[in-house]
Amino acid sequence: MIQKVKMWAKSFTLFELFKGLGITWRNMWRKKITVQYPEEETPVSFRFRGVLALRRYPNGEERCIACKLCEAVCPALAITIESEPRADGTRRTTRYDIDAFKCINCGFCEEACPVDSIVTVPESHYHMEERGENIMTKEKLLAIGDMFEEKIAKAKKLDSEYR
Amino acid sequence: MIEFEIDGVKVKAEPGETIIQAADRAGVYIPRFCYHKKLSIAANCRMCLVEIEKAPKPTPACAFPASQDMKVFTRSPVALKAQRAVMEFLLINHPLDCPVCDQGGECELQDLSMGYGEGVSQYTERKKCVDDEDIGPLISTYMTRCIKCTRCVRFGDEIAGMPEIGAVNRGEDTEISTYVGKSVKSEVSGNIIDICPVGALTSKPYKFTARAWELKQHASIAPHDCLGSNIYIHTASNQYQKGREVKRVVPLDNEKINETWLSDRDRFSYEGLNSENRVTRPMIKQGGKWIETDWQSAMDMAYQGFAKIVEMKNPDAIGGLISPSATTEEHYLFQQLLRAIGTNNIDHRIRQIDFSDSMDSPTFPGLSINIEELEKQDTIVLIGSNIRHEQPLAGVRVRKAWKNGGKVLAINPVKRNYNFDTAKEMTVGISNMVPFLSEVVKALADKYKNKRFIEWLKDIKPSQDAIDFAEEIDKGVETAILLGADSLSHPQAGAIKSLVIAILAILQKGNYGELTTGANSAGAWLAGAVPHRLPTGENDSAGLNAQQMFSQPLDGYLLHGVEPEFDVANPQQALTALRYAPHVVVLSPFVSETMKDYANVILPIGAFSEISGSYVNVEGTTQRFRSANAPMGEARPGWKVLRVMGNFFEFEGFDYKDLEEVQMSFKEESDDDRKFERPMLYMKQDFVAHKPKGLIRIVDWPMYRVDATTRYAKSLQKTISDEERSARIHSKTVKQLKLNIPSGHMVEVIQNDESIQVKLVIDDNVPEKHVYLPAGLEETAGFGEVAGIVEVKIP
Ligand code: SF4
Ligand code: SF4
Ligand code: SF4
Ligand code: FES
Repeated sequence: MIQKVKMWAKSFTLFELFKGLGITWRNMWRKKITVQYPEEETPVSFRFRGVLALRRYPNGEERCIACKLCEAVCPALAITIESEPRADGTRRTTRYDIDAFKCINCGFCEEACPVDSIVTVPESHYHMEERGENIMTKEKLLAIGDMFEEKIAKAKKLDSEYR
Repeated sequence: MIEFEIDGVKVKAEPGETIIQAADRAGVYIPRFCYHKKLSIAANCRMCLVEIEKAPKPTPACAFPASQDMKVFTRSPVALKAQRAVMEFLLINHPLDCPVCDQGGECELQDLSMGYGEGVSQYTERKKCVDDEDIGPLISTYMTRCIKCTRCVRFGDEIAGMPEIGAVNRGEDTEISTYVGKSVKSEVSGNIIDICPVGALTSKPYKFTARAWELKQHASIAPHDCLGSNIYIHTASNQYQKGREVKRVVPLDNEKINETWLSDRDRFSYEGLNSENRVTRPMIKQGGKWIETDWQSAMDMAYQGFAKIVEMKNPDAIGGLISPSATTEEHYLFQQLLRAIGTNNIDHRIRQIDFSDSMDSPTFPGLSINIEELEKQDTIVLIGSNIRHEQPLAGVRVRKAWKNGGKVLAINPVKRNYNFDTAKEMTVGISNMVPFLSEVVKALADKYKNKRFIEWLKDIKPSQDAIDFAEEIDKGVETAILLGADSLSHPQAGAIKSLVIAILAILQKGNYGELTTGANSAGAWLAGAVPHRLPTGENDSAGLNAQQMFSQPLDGYLLHGVEPEFDVANPQQALTALRYAPHVVVLSPFVSETMKDYANVILPIGAFSEISGSYVNVEGTTQRFRSANAPMGEARPGWKVLRVMGNFFEFEGFDYKDLEEVQMSFKEESDDDRKFERPMLYMKQDFVAHKPKGLIRIVDWPMYRVDATTRYAKSLQKTISDEERSARIHSKTVKQLKLNIPSGHMVEVIQNDESIQVKLVIDDNVPEKHVYLPAGLEETAGFGEVAGIVEVKIP
């Protein structure tokens, strides 16, 4: 009986309607979360696994030592390495290719690398136009590394706290 | 038999056996670094510490003999603590940069520190660093990684006889070094790469090119000497490569043949497989120009040429030479093809010049004992054998026999540099091999009053040397007389063999062995790749042998895996004959400028890793193997090419579908189980000394110039010294010739009106009136024959 009266009163006072409008009202004053891409962007975690890059040491020497651990760990078999002793006797790659179409951006290579050479940069702006561009060669990867070195270094520093 | 317990498991051991040996047999693993089953016990790494009940301290299992009822614990707290501590000590001075180290992924230190080490080290001080040494083109060093287990040093001392490697300084400062920084020169040096538990010694040609985990392993047989060492071929591949590439070769344990070792030639020859001289497409010569073409037209041209000769002349104007290192199946098909064409001019004995004993020779030349038994001989007589270079691992066995107290005797044309002592060594030159041997036989016959032999050699008076030598042979209980390459390519090879058989006949004991050249001489004989014998073993009307085929030039030649300018006993004659011949078809994995000069058709065939087949080794064991990778480019396995050539002729019996069918057919025709029999006694030789007037050229084939694959292997080539490329002459002969120049200067050597310039080395190991100038070198390519007469002058 009491139930019935309550329902009856609610429907006469348009209670449900005002309750709904209340949510609208509250949200009207809340901070907007819509991002006006591409003018605006959502913030990206320093752990975001974006484009791949090979890093250098500050003195310009490439970090990669051709240990092939990344090649071995890559679950997508995206990495192909060929290596040889360089003229100065150090172990270096003569070919370092990542097929970006195969890569699933899992970041295992980054985890495996003993010298922080191959990294996934927290950067998602990259694209390909031509067939064949999906093969990221050593030169390309190093160039990307040079381009984003600051960003990578920062991300690594932030990440180190959790390691 | 002793019985004791390891980790609660009952284990049996021979008295005197160490715990680790018994444990290995029982399948209980005890970690170790310095212990190696083939080397003496050093017990210096302490990794193998185990707990023994009632013993006060942990004990090294590799040095402690097992005793009745002892209780050993390998995983008890005491043992584990000891292992962890040792591991921590070992890692104090070891760099922790496995990712750059070539051993990474197959390193005993890496594995054991994962298995038995602790995660952290208490050591924070500076690590010790050791300078590297350049020890030659085959082995690369990174001495900071060395853990001083001394396996390499013991291998050098005990097995290889290369005392160059040793440990200097003591304690913390111990370093493994070659003392004076010279390169290691041993025919089996590569084994220290395998036995070094860490990455201190690694392979130079393989350096940094691949990782253990990306390699695929294929069991195979080494293709360069008559032992048939068992090998693993390691191949790798990636998406950009067509087919798999051979990355390295390592030994496969076979106690009966190579134990755990491998000769450098077998280990590093794979480099030749990827040489730029490989021929990848069939080639034909048209109007003096070489063009690459398809198989159909190349085969057709090859066929047409032979068919024309058969039609215009007769099949006997065609001859075929096949490398003694080809597979038995190739030998079989090769002779089947030529015999179907109608000629018996078939041979594989490319380095032989005396064929007088052909008809009497046994089923195949070989060894009357097993390779393994060589080391049990108490007397080994080497006749014309540079065993270290010819069959390095047989050399290791001989050295072992010598180390066990056996004695080695030798008769050689030139003094050989053995790594064992000889009780008596005669350096007699080419001309005196037979006279000296006949004196030895006579001395023995006199001693045993054997009328038959005294009568046979009635004109011979043994010298004191010969009597002493005979005496030494006679003293032996287990005697093996081994004939090496210098005997087999001697101008009186038949006489040498018959005299050796006579020695054994007089003594009524002893073992006989011919250490043949090439990997498959035995197989070639069995398959009938000789002019006078069929695969059934019956003698046939003889065709021309390897020598006659060039001395009586033919119209058509079929060459299989032979480079005559390097490989045959008389390169000069061979090249002349081939250049004049209207039709020369070459089946070869490699092409050279000389080949383009004499050939009309070049058909690419697979090199050793690329073919399946079988080899019969010197003791008569047949070993089958499968290809590790596909033939390069459009090359095809040799047997297929021969089979299809048979189809072009429309011969019957050439429709084999696979290699098995070839093997079946061979088996049916020949009795596959034919075993080695010792050659029969035959005494029809006359023993005139081979004493031509003038300087005699002593010829052998340097270790790394024996076949095409080795010749194209770059790193091996770098180890050939200048001296090996020179004309070596005795100092007295140099004076007689009035060559007033010191070693190292150029001289002109003239043989059969052809002259070359090589360095002179004055060397008293060479007998007087001889010039020691090897064949097979670039310098002597296409030069005169074995044991020919030469002139030497100042250019
Ligand atoms: S991110 Fe993952 S899939 Fe991509 S290359 Fe690295 S390991 Fe391979
Ligand atoms: S990128 Fe890193 S893991 Fe990959 S080969 Fe180079 S050093 Fe090794
Ligand atoms: S170089 Fe290798 S084998 Fe030789 S002592 Fe050092 S670790 Fe042992
Ligand atoms: S293996 Fe026993 S002490 Fe080295």
